[in-house]
Amino acid sequence: MNKQHVLIVEDDPWLAEQHARVLSRAGYEPTITPHALAAIQAIDIVEPAAIILDVLLTGSTAFALMHELQSYTDTARIPIILCTNIAEELELEVVAPYGVRRILDKTSMEPSDLVTALRSVLV
Amino acid sequence: MKREQGMRDNMASGGVLADGLPSLIAAAHELKSPLSLVRQLSLLLETEDLSVDERQRMLRQITLTSERALRLTNDLTRSVRLQDALFTLEPINPKQLCEEVVHELTPLFTAHGRRITLAPRTHPLLLVANRDLLRRIIVNFSDNALYYAEGDGPVQLQINAFHEGQMIRLGVRDYGPALSSDMWRSLQTKLSTAPQPIHARPQSSGLGLYIASQFAEAMNGSLGVTRHADGATFYIDLHASQQLSWL
Repeated sequence: MNKQHVLIVEDDPWLAEQHARVLSRAGYEPTITPHALAAIQAIDIVEPAAIILDVLLTGSTAFALMHELQSYTDTARIPIILCTNIAEELELEVVAPYGVRRILDKTSMEPSDLVTALRSVLV
Repeated sequence: MKREQGMRDNMASGGVLADGLPSLIAAAHELKSPLSLVRQLSLLLETEDLSVDERQRMLRQITLTSERALRLTNDLTRSVRLQDALFTLEPINPKQLCEEVVHELTPLFTAHGRRITLAPRTHPLLLVANRDLLRRIIVNFSDNALYYAEGDGPVQLQINAFHEGQMIRLGVRDYGPALSSDMWRSLQTKLSTAPQPIHARPQSSGLGLYIASQFAEAMNGSLGVTRHADGATFYIDLHASQQLSWL
């Protein structure tokens, strides 16, 4: 069975590496990109089933990336899980139109929450 | 859309208090990233089946990330106490100080697969500064270059004299892709005023730069940023010491 690709957009390389470790062990195929521009390029290549997205990125914010993804029919369908330190500033109903299906709070989440959130949006 | 703007305005409420001190929100925001990373690494160490090498590497990351957070808290308390304290300005050899910074930060850069170096310089220079404050500024710029510059290029500390040797510039040059025009304008503003809203520089509240500008001001110096085709240089300009000319 082919593994599902998951794109991790995270500019902290050590945190991204740990996210990737958790996802790999859960049977997913993670790809890490450090910023929005690299993410856009990677999406065409890996065609991810879902995107784990940090909000405060180097350069463009996650909002710029989400706007871009919503511009195309195929990328607009990719479920996004925001994984951020500013979760308390965000409301799911407000960001849902950008394709966001879950919001994870980096300050309180368990590593396994990443897998739980992914499974819930990929059913 | 209004609600999104409202969220951003709320995020932007970090900055400075009425008396010019960094706000608690800006400080809290800056500390969240390293603390979240330390927590995630600790949780993984507890739960994951890891090799000895992996465990050692993660423990090293926890140590280095904690040190980074502690540097920020130390700078913050130093910044708040600036108004009450007297600072000795003395002749300082910038080359020696930069060598100390390179030595201090090399383990952190190495752990990230990056390099920090000091540009070679033949002629000795002396500037007038407070050693502790100047070291904190250079460490802050270097830290900034490590975390916020893109790519894996080296970070180089540079020392140059200008205005016929009356002024000395200590710069931290990174070799990532160039800053966008918007970000450059934002940084120019940030270097001369209080911290900007978080979304002005998405991943940072600008607290570190604000503290650095406070330190520079206390030493009669000024901060600036130069944009290059392939990166940026953050610098501090300070007055040269006349001691060398007496020799």
